[in-house]
Amino acid sequence: MGSTNVTPRIRDKVRDGEPLSLEDGIALFEHRNLLELGLLANEVRERLHGERTYFNRNLHINATNVCEASCRFCSFARLEEGKPGAYTMSHAEAWGKLQARLDARDPITEIHIVNGLHPGLPFEYYTELLAGLKRLQPSIHLKAFTAVEIFYFHKKYDLPIAEVITRLRAAGLDSIPGGGAEIFAARVRKKICDDKCTGDEWLEVHRTAHRLGLRSNCTMLYGTIETVEERVDHMLRLRALQAETGGFQTFIPLAFHPDNNALMKLPGPTGVEDLRTYAVARLVLDNIPHLKAYWIMLGVKTAQSALWFGADDLDGTVQEEKIYHMAGAETPQAMSPNEIVRIIRNAGRAPVERDTLYNVLAEGEALASDKPFRRDVRRHALEVVP
Amino acid sequence: MSPGADATSTSSTSIPAASEAAAPPVEDLFALGRRAAAARDAALGRRGTFARSRRLLGSGAWRGPRDASVSYVEAGDLPALGGWAAAHAAGATVVVGADVATLREIAGDGARLVLRAAFRGGESEDARSGRLRALAACDVPLWGVIPTPEGEPYGLDTVRFTALCRLALPVGCHVLADVERLGPRLAQMCLGFGADELLAPIVGERALRLGDNANNPALTRKEAVTLIRGAGLVPAERLLNDALEEVT
Repeated sequence: MGSTNVTPRIRDKVRDGEPLSLEDGIALFEHRNLLELGLLANEVRERLHGERTYFNRNLHINATNVCEASCRFCSFARLEEGKPGAYTMSHAEAWGKLQARLDARDPITEIHIVNGLHPGLPFEYYTELLAGLKRLQPSIHLKAFTAVEIFYFHKKYDLPIAEVITRLRAAGLDSIPGGGAEIFAARVRKKICDDKCTGDEWLEVHRTAHRLGLRSNCTMLYGTIETVEERVDHMLRLRALQAETGGFQTFIPLAFHPDNNALMKLPGPTGVEDLRTYAVARLVLDNIPHLKAYWIMLGVKTAQSALWFGADDLDGTVQEEKIYHMAGAETPQAMSPNEIVRIIRNAGRAPVERDTLYNVLAEGEALASDKPFRRDVRRHALEVVP
Repeated sequence: MSPGADATSTSSTSIPAASEAAAPPVEDLFALGRRAAAARDAALGRRGTFARSRRLLGSGAWRGPRDASVSYVEAGDLPALGGWAAAHAAGATVVVGADVATLREIAGDGARLVLRAAFRGGESEDARSGRLRALAACDVPLWGVIPTPEGEPYGLDTVRFTALCRLALPVGCHVLADVERLGPRLAQMCLGFGADELLAPIVGERALRLGDNANNPALTRKEAVTLIRGAGLVPAERLLNDALEEVT
């Protein structure tokens, strides 16, 4: 354990496992020395996970980018069907993405599905989308529909949130991605995404999902107009829900990309700001087990560096990511498992292939051979709350 | 100064073999970074610099602003220009080269020498340190080095090599973070690991990053200052005759 000059009070709280306050989080964001902050965050990361660094084999499907919401940071959405660049996949097209992976004998364990808020699709479009994917590969884990989408379904189809989730689950939904949280502060949401669900509504969707036994992830969009106080407030609200339900698996800070959207005059976060945000998140969110450096958005080089600033997960192989690439991301749209393993090993970490629920599928020698997946660690199921 | 793509000794190998990538770092990242940052602070102050530069091309034309404070030429362009003497007569004061032998031929003839110090993924840290120690002991008076990855760099490899450069090279030798080669995010991180100057074309106004301009590495003065300040350093612009002006 190295010495740090982060204020002794905060350092002691972290080492004693005491939750940090809003003031502590702000002080960490304002702490001048990134390396000292990183050292403390790395202590927590290694206490939780040692050298283990997780990844999975996944595929992204963005079935439609037609979206009623007009978030100012978004480069992906098109407001109406028929507008240049707007698309909606047929079921056959979406299913074909998975079929292509099966035909290529390129196994995946997860499909991540996030879409625009399409005003003209029936609810059955989504249930059949899931059901068809499950028919093709019954073992596939479907992590689908952000809380924003689920809340939209609740309003549009006039169904209780729990009913929306239950019906999607019956069709094949296994967990919920963390997108759409942006920044919970009303001041920020009013300026950058005032026509989608509020922060409280986002949290309510996840609370409901957790009570129904589903796990989910959570995110924070940083680098637009928010203050560091609003960032810490966002983290604390997530921490409070986690204390209540225990359903969050991973926190994913999402760096704002300024190209091709209404906020393109903003500079976007810098590399040091990225690492600082990861480190603070690791220290503040003491009850969320994992912190993901989403390489698609951070870039491979920054994501790898984040593995020493609190992050323990690199996401997955992805493929065909559209949302960030339409915002100017210059990363590749996919990485092979071998590439991810090499990046993790080059960082001096131990790669672990996981499934969506962080069951370990392969690690150590198994990752360098053709041995079949191991399934030796099982997470306990979330308790269903009536 | 603005880096020239032809001077980087890039190869097509994007990612090293798994066995190479597994070579473990030998010193804790944070300890190494703090030693390098302290060495930078002791030698050059807690300052991060940038400069408006222009490049003399092999054709004899200049690329960059007329009022640049640094005028440089890539060593690879010297034969086409008729050698260093001709380039110097045209106004160049800095030579950027990829090997010591070329720079040695020019040394002592009015040129400020900057070396692209190459590294590749999978090298042991001992090998890198040994190479840098040899460089420090050589008879070529280097003004600065530019850590230059062969192929696509790993983030941690780059910041570690930057720190090794700072620790191995003579006090006062500048370590430059190449924005074009590393990208602004990683270049900024290098400032936390002992680098003291951002190497990027500095432009008056940002053009939208669209079309052919999508990957333009140029920074505005304000962006350079933001990156340096965000790294916890005091930004300063390198002016004519090497005067430094702190940006407040």
